[in-house]
Amino acid sequence: MSDIILRMEGITKQFGSNVANNSVNFDVYKGEVHTLLGENGAGKSTLMKVLYGIHQPDEGKIYVDGAEVTINSPREAVNYGIGMVHQHFMLASNLTALENIVLGMPTSRPPFLELNEAKVELGKIAAEYDLHVDLTIPVWQLPVGAQQRVEILKVLFRKANILILDEPTAVLTPPEVEQLYKVIDQLKAQGKSVIFISHKLNEVKKVSDRITVLRHGQVTGTISSKEANPNNLAKMMVGRAISLARKQPAVTDASSDKVLEIKDVTCLGDKGVTALNNISLEVRRGEILGVAGVDGNGQRELAECIAGIRPVTEGSISINGQTVTGVVKDPRIMGYIPEDRRRTGLVLDFSIAENLVLKTISEPQYKKFGYFINWGTVYKHARQAIKEFDIRTSGPEAPARHLSGGNQQRVVLSRELEKKPAFILASQATRGLDVGAIENVQDLLREQRNQGAAILYISTELTEVMSISDRIIVMSKGEIMGEVTPDPSNLPQIGEMMMGLRTSEQEGRANNEQLES
Amino acid sequence: MNSWSLKGALQKAKDIIVGPIIAIALALLLAGILIYFSGYEPLAAYGALFKGSVGNINSLAVTGVRMTPLLLGGLAVAMSFSCGVSNIGIEGQLYLGAVGATIVGLMPLPVPQWLHLLLVLAAGFVFGALWATVPGYLYAYKGVNEVVLTLMLNYVAIYLVSYLTNTVYGPLGEKGASYSQSPELVSTARLPILLKGSSLHVGLLVGIVLAIALYIFMNHTSSGFRLRMVGFNPHAAEYAGIPMERTRMQIMLLSGGLAGIAGASEVAGLFHRLYANFSPGYGFDAIAVSLLAGNNPLAVILSSAFYGALRAGATRMQQVIGIEVSIVFIIQAFTILFVTAGTVLSHRPSVIKKLFRFSKKSPAEGRG
Repeated sequence: MSDIILRMEGITKQFGSNVANNSVNFDVYKGEVHTLLGENGAGKSTLMKVLYGIHQPDEGKIYVDGAEVTINSPREAVNYGIGMVHQHFMLASNLTALENIVLGMPTSRPPFLELNEAKVELGKIAAEYDLHVDLTIPVWQLPVGAQQRVEILKVLFRKANILILDEPTAVLTPPEVEQLYKVIDQLKAQGKSVIFISHKLNEVKKVSDRITVLRHGQVTGTISSKEANPNNLAKMMVGRAISLARKQPAVTDASSDKVLEIKDVTCLGDKGVTALNNISLEVRRGEILGVAGVDGNGQRELAECIAGIRPVTEGSISINGQTVTGVVKDPRIMGYIPEDRRRTGLVLDFSIAENLVLKTISEPQYKKFGYFINWGTVYKHARQAIKEFDIRTSGPEAPARHLSGGNQQRVVLSRELEKKPAFILASQATRGLDVGAIENVQDLLREQRNQGAAILYISTELTEVMSISDRIIVMSKGEIMGEVTPDPSNLPQIGEMMMGLRTSEQEGRANNEQLES
Repeated sequence: MNSWSLKGALQKAKDIIVGPIIAIALALLLAGILIYFSGYEPLAAYGALFKGSVGNINSLAVTGVRMTPLLLGGLAVAMSFSCGVSNIGIEGQLYLGAVGATIVGLMPLPVPQWLHLLLVLAAGFVFGALWATVPGYLYAYKGVNEVVLTLMLNYVAIYLVSYLTNTVYGPLGEKGASYSQSPELVSTARLPILLKGSSLHVGLLVGIVLAIALYIFMNHTSSGFRLRMVGFNPHAAEYAGIPMERTRMQIMLLSGGLAGIAGASEVAGLFHRLYANFSPGYGFDAIAVSLLAGNNPLAVILSSAFYGALRAGATRMQQVIGIEVSIVFIIQAFTILFVTAGTVLSHRPSVIKKLFRFSKKSPAEGRG
């Protein structure tokens, strides 16, 4: 247990003026799970990309098994026994798991593809590590957890001794997470080392032997998981104590006006299969309704239906009594913080000033001589917003592309909340943001609620939904599984609902488990 | 103007101009090497090229004539490309615009000349836009690939004009002429000459005015703002409530209309009649013109002037030095290659870094 298999020494990596890694020291023992913890942008991914040969360090040395190495490409990394399981799986979805695993490997009978030998060998590996997957069906038909196992198999098939798992639990349901932990235990038992990347405080203590925390590209400390607790880890991550849960009483009651009303809505997903099945919900003035659930269970489609971008095949959606038939253009009625700010929330090549008026450019204050844009008022408006929302930028003419994720989100929030909309749709509003920025977003939304806005808060981060919502509904497979209050004691129930069990259907559980096994 | 906009405008101008100038310099250098190895003196060749294009007032006029269709066509490309629509059908729309201009230009209308000319140009716009209607509809509403659609219709348009001007059975053909052509336009339908004794006509001014108008439209009106939004990020535009189908259709029609004016200007300004195959591929060169200009309407004026000058000077270069005119097309192609390469590299600094790393030969390579 005491042999150091990997040592990274004084790693520095700079992108322009941004120091992503600053003299980082990091080592891993054989048979150890070493967690790399830090906020988004703290330098975890950069460090791992350096290790995996995607980036070359400006300074510093890497030792594998005691020998100094230079890793110029992922292929070389693989040769040194380093394997990476990316957060977004690198699988060709129309190939089978087996084909995906051998993809890029030399075949034993060139030029023909030899799959049988690989299959036999994979069977052995799967048995050894408890990684059971159907290798013969296209991977798009596999559940997310199984796809992840395919990725792990892929890495083990390439004889990796050091496995980098990049935020592996982000896409999993609670039972799948448990299963992953078991796999990690197996890996450890077989003498493999695991680098576990995470920004979730609560999971790292459980899974790791040691934890190294990164902040602003520097190591703030390495501690054993025995010494770790959420409070000291949080402090190491953000440099100050943060309140992990803040509650404010709701300012609503059953007599408040219904702002959003969804009745029996059904819609189709991108592949033409039913994505939402008979959904009904309502959000009242002055309340935040949280939508919990594992990613990909209809949340995105729900948001798109409400935003008027995805057609509803049955049922109706109304905001302030008005049926939604297309995009709601009035920023006084609806503010929409979309799931993917870079793709749909912003025009990255536009300046901050332009992005702030995407929807309001036709308003009279931005016009002159009737037809022309008054760039003077557009920029004045931008300077105000930059000040009010504390957008860190060189000025209103800077392209949105140059902002950090948190500041990009501030631009979106500033635009969407400017007119004090009656209804706010926040879809994964904090995705990819660091702890400080998440607090900031949540505070802004709470403020809007206190002023009477109705908010639908969709997030796959359960802790966030718990901390901001007044009520919570849980979605699974395009249906609402039930509603609960955000009380910690309801967590087990929420977990079950996320797995697809209705509160009223607990008795069907045994049945379900039989089906799964 | 506020200080921010002046500073920003200067910075923008610098960003737009520096890259293309480097590309042009590299292209001339590379072509110069080719000229050298063909057994000619590069400097003498470029001297002739220069004299023939901007050496005196007459060669300037020739440059102006050559640049006019490239300018108008370049605007058509810039219009569609900057809105994310790839209209490769400029050539066909230009031919159809010429047809529209010819039809109106052959009519002895009892109106003043300025009005008749306006009608001729308008007809060019309408016919160009009409030719873009079918591909525009299929692209915007049915999601068919617009590159294939518009490209293929170019050939249809060229042969359609050959048919129309046929001297035996063509509806617009001049009976008994030795070449496929229409009769001459009536005198009120001919664009005035700008410089006496040359062919330089008002079409150039039309192009410059339209370039400025297009720039203002795209950058200083809310409609232009929305079109740019569609170009830069169609998803965000859709989320902001912009009707994508209708907007894309509009973009295609506007672009086709501008291309039509290019054809109308050639007929009413230069030829005074419609010829079969009258365009030596202006619609395709216009794509290069717009690319060199970074799809900026004002920069299109400069880049079309450059390409026009190359064309104008090439004739003299051939006469004086004896180099084939085709060297000009090589320069043109090199320029586009370098501009494109520059764009790719500036978006991916890592590529440049890698190039430098190879040249320095990293210690890692000594290891293996």
